Amino acid sequence: MNSGITSIKLVLLGEAAVGKSSIVLRFVSNDFTENKEPTIGAAFLTQRVNIGEQTVKFEIWDTAGQERFASLAPMYYRNAQAALVVYDITKPQSFIKARHWVKELHEQASKGIIIALVGNKVDIVSSGGERKVAREEAEKLAEEEGLLFFETSAKTGENVNEVFLGIGEKIPLGRPDEQSGLQNGGVRITDDQRIDLASTGSGAVAASGCNC
Amino acid sequence: MSFFESLRQKAPFLDRIAENFTPAITRDEKFKLEYKLPADENILDDTNADLSFVSAFGKLKELQKVKNTNEQAMAYVYSGKLFLTPHYLLFRDSFDHSSCIMVVNLSAVKRVERATSTAYAFSLLVTLYSGSQIVIQFIGLRYRSEQFCAQMKLRLKDNVPNAKELPEFLASCYSEFLLRKNLLRIKDITVPPAGLGQLYKYPGNPTVAKEKAKLRLWFNYFKEHGANIGIVKNHEFQKLIRIGVPNRLRSEIWELCCGSIYLRQAHRGEYERILKDNEGKSSQAVEEIEKDLKRSLPEYSAYQKEEGIQRLRNVLTAYSWKNPDVGYCQAMNIVVAGLLIYMTEEQAFWCLSNICDIYVPGYYSKTMYGTLLDQKVFEAFVKEKMPVLWEHIVKYDIQMSVVSLPWFLSLFFTSMPLEYAFRIMDIFFLYGSKTLFQVSLAILKVNGDDLLEVEDDGMFIAILKNYFHTLSDSAHPDSSDIKYRQITKFQELLVTAFKEFNVITESIVAQERNRFQKSIFQDIETFVKRTQLRHMPKTFNLSQEQLSNIYDIFYQSIESHKISMGTGSSNMEFEIFIQFLSKFCDWSKPSETDNDPSFRKQKRGFLKRLFKKWDSSRIGELTLYDVVSGLDKLITQDLLESINFFFSLYDEDDDNELLREEVLQISEGLLFLTEPWKTGRYVDELTKKSIENGIAESIVKENGSAITVEQISLPSGVTVDEEKYKSEQTERYLEAASNFLQRSFEYAKPLELSEEINLIDLSDDEDTDSGTKQKNYEAMMANAALDPTHPKVLDLATFRMIILADETYELFFTSTFRNSIHVDEQVDPSEGKEKALRNMFDGIIADGKRVAEEVRRRVDSVATKGSIASSESNSQTLNGSSTTSGTSHISASKDDRMDDVDDFTTEHPNEQEELLSTSWIEMDSAPDPSTNQNRTLRAISAETSSDQKDLIEFETN
Repeated sequence: MNSGITSIKLVLLGEAAVGKSSIVLRFVSNDFTENKEPTIGAAFLTQRVNIGEQTVKFEIWDTAGQERFASLAPMYYRNAQAALVVYDITKPQSFIKARHWVKELHEQASKGIIIALVGNKVDIVSSGGERKVAREEAEKLAEEEGLLFFETSAKTGENVNEVFLGIGEKIPLGRPDEQSGLQNGGVRITDDQRIDLASTGSGAVAASGCNC
Repeated sequence: MSFFESLRQKAPFLDRIAENFTPAITRDEKFKLEYKLPADENILDDTNADLSFVSAFGKLKELQKVKNTNEQAMAYVYSGKLFLTPHYLLFRDSFDHSSCIMVVNLSAVKRVERATSTAYAFSLLVTLYSGSQIVIQFIGLRYRSEQFCAQMKLRLKDNVPNAKELPEFLASCYSEFLLRKNLLRIKDITVPPAGLGQLYKYPGNPTVAKEKAKLRLWFNYFKEHGANIGIVKNHEFQKLIRIGVPNRLRSEIWELCCGSIYLRQAHRGEYERILKDNEGKSSQAVEEIEKDLKRSLPEYSAYQKEEGIQRLRNVLTAYSWKNPDVGYCQAMNIVVAGLLIYMTEEQAFWCLSNICDIYVPGYYSKTMYGTLLDQKVFEAFVKEKMPVLWEHIVKYDIQMSVVSLPWFLSLFFTSMPLEYAFRIMDIFFLYGSKTLFQVSLAILKVNGDDLLEVEDDGMFIAILKNYFHTLSDSAHPDSSDIKYRQITKFQELLVTAFKEFNVITESIVAQERNRFQKSIFQDIETFVKRTQLRHMPKTFNLSQEQLSNIYDIFYQSIESHKISMGTGSSNMEFEIFIQFLSKFCDWSKPSETDNDPSFRKQKRGFLKRLFKKWDSSRIGELTLYDVVSGLDKLITQDLLESINFFFSLYDEDDDNELLREEVLQISEGLLFLTEPWKTGRYVDELTKKSIENGIAESIVKENGSAITVEQISLPSGVTVDEEKYKSEQTERYLEAASNFLQRSFEYAKPLELSEEINLIDLSDDEDTDSGTKQKNYEAMMANAALDPTHPKVLDLATFRMIILADETYELFFTSTFRNSIHVDEQVDPSEGKEKALRNMFDGIIADGKRVAEEVRRRVDSVATKGSIASSESNSQTLNGSSTTSGTSHISASKDDRMDDVDDFTTEHPNEQEELLSTSWIEMDSAPDPSTNQNRTLRAISAETSSDQKDLIEFETN
């Protein structure tokens, strides 16, 4: 492994059609597609950026948003060091779902995971559409739960890079070996556990009591 | 013993057998599954037979015309089995089960006659609408053959009405169009409706795909072997599909292979009806579908236009209404978008239905258990067939499901160029879900060398992505042999899939699915439970563990809901709610009293109110959320809160006042709730206290005042008069109930101030009442206080006062009620009824510490006769002392109160008698030997430790 590069495993979570894949596409290819096919299961992309002197390689796991795919999510946020919980600022329901994701991550994901709350589609508001999730409300949640908070537009690119840079700055860099290790209590992945929903769960359930 | 030993040794082996054993499905189910017949096509009869099929347009027929003979000898004759179902005649050859499969819809039969047979054999000549003829020669006993024919005759008659609809149905089949146009030379024939591809082009290059030649081959096949609902499928049929079905025929071949053509024929008009019935209706599925309509194969031009979008919307929403258990799952939009390129809306709708039910069961369900299961099965196959690659994947912690899950879930539509995905679909519909495994394994196999080089997920994905984009390239570009060079990567993939991995059969897939099913279901259940509990309301009185118990009991009660499969409603209806509460609430447990109509009315009345109160969304059903927030309030530690809640159940307009009728109902509610104590099924703290006093008393008596606590032992002669305590308790509860009603009306306020004068009159009336005919409960109802013309109300403050004025009821709301709700109890499905009808004394937590303290108190205070006397009347004293707001009724003599009790019994004479008697019956029927009324206490050993949980052990004979 290149000693100058730090890898950050990052997962995107959030309700269907809030723009998770679009944020990734904007960040990775600086591109935007209006009608993107829904992500089936999950997608994986990488992007390198320079933060200060460091080169950071983001390994991005983009997940499917529909409720019933939620049971697959643990496979992808396993060992993640960072998460983007995305909602659509014009869809209140998506903000409720975002709360749920934050809660789940705090309970089930790696300890010390950096979470960014991302309100997407600000372009709709800029062009006269109605905002349905107040910025203050989201800021409050971010404050309470210790999250980074951004409002973005994958369509215009507004604030998208800032989200990833913000995450990159929060994660202690320069010691790649320690970060990719067993941060979530040492869940070792054996052959039998690969499609195991409980793989993050069984270990974390017992520990969930001391999360508060 | 050795027998059991050896059994135990064999157990792991037996487990393994069980693991590999595919669950037994019935012959009918297997039959329907194999031939993709609709669910109601059970086998009515079957027989061995020889069969030959002579097509109306086949070579044979032409030959016959020329020769003008009538012999059938030249047709191929197949030996096999003939099956009859309500709507189908099905033949299967016994050679290899695929040389001659004939599925004929009975409505397509035009004529059946006895064939001029050469031998003594019994033969039938069946003529179809098309003029094709089937000769059936029965094999076996004559009378069995006759039986079969008789049955068939009945069925044919039943199907006569369907025959009328046949022409219209056939007009939707392209095969029929081909035959009529080219053989019968009918000119003004309408072209059957087609999929979007007819207008917006089919994917791929038609010249490369040799469309015309393929269509010709199929035309010849139909000519020779029949088509659509009267077709004979043989090896050639399979071969024609493997080389790729021509675009225009795809819809029909797909529906023929997957059996949806039978559904479409059987349920004509249903699709349109579903759309019409649900027009404009909204649902979660409809909303989710709407989000994805423009995101379904968006690069295909039809889905950039309203026409394509509308078709997609129709099929997806119609299916979500037809199958609400599935509703809509992302990826279905892509699959249906694919189907609609070739199929009409109706065809796609029925095809989707069979895909979900037969081909990939559980893939799109609410928990997606099928998807998870097949990923697990796929990984097991990879591990078994390509161990080196698998080791590599594990070593580099590559999440293979990122690539493989979409292959299965969206049937390759999102992974490969569409034209190739459709080629795989052709084979998928023909052979079933094993195709997905075979192709997926082949993809990994073909790319095996490259994949062994990768070190992370990104490279793994990139290699496969690149591979899919170059499927049309030559697989051997450097070969000198031009023929070899012409083989595309896609062809190579198919060869690998169906040659190398032909060992993956449907039954092996089924076996593997069965192997992993249990663990997947368990994982899902764990996951669902964790998620649901995470989203529960904040509880103040329920612990996490108790929530977990409630969750278990809740879903154990709703049997129709399968958590792991996500099917059935997860909401609780009233009847189930009753059963649910009865699992852990003492007052709701089934008992003999349930047989009493008036008690049942009380019970249902109270539970209905509770149900309504908890039903936050007013849908007549409770969610887990409702139940949890409801129970959390119900077991509050706060006495006033508990009383307030009970009051609010009856105060439907929330004005903190109860009217006459409501007061009567609240008293009925109390009567119901206190039933288990009234009948002595359980004991409350007061009785417990008095029993403990009694025991202590005996000890002191026995040992004199010299005893020290450490020495406490009970001589064998001491007995506890169970019956006495029980009847005391019963009396106390009856008394409380009667007092409650009396006081309620005594302290009720007039509804309006202007009627204050009446109050005096009324109370006068009441006094006279109580003086004269108080014994009659009926009279109390008719009492002037209850007179509708002089309405009075009971407000919350008064209600609280009345409850607090009665020691039994106060205790009831302080602890008795709360403690009767056992949210701590783990679900035990084996719990029988006997356990529910617990013995009174089992209910006593025989707290040794307290008995010991009682003894010590007596000893310490130099147990004089006086203290003994006081303890004898203990319960009575307590009764009086805590009634703070003393009234004349409280201080009334015991006899008076007994009268009141009598009043009650005259109102519900049978009830009370029954209540009393049943409790004893229960006692007797309880299997526990300790139910003897007089129990001999042998020894008590008490500990002086301050730990409250230490119990004295009662040793019984």
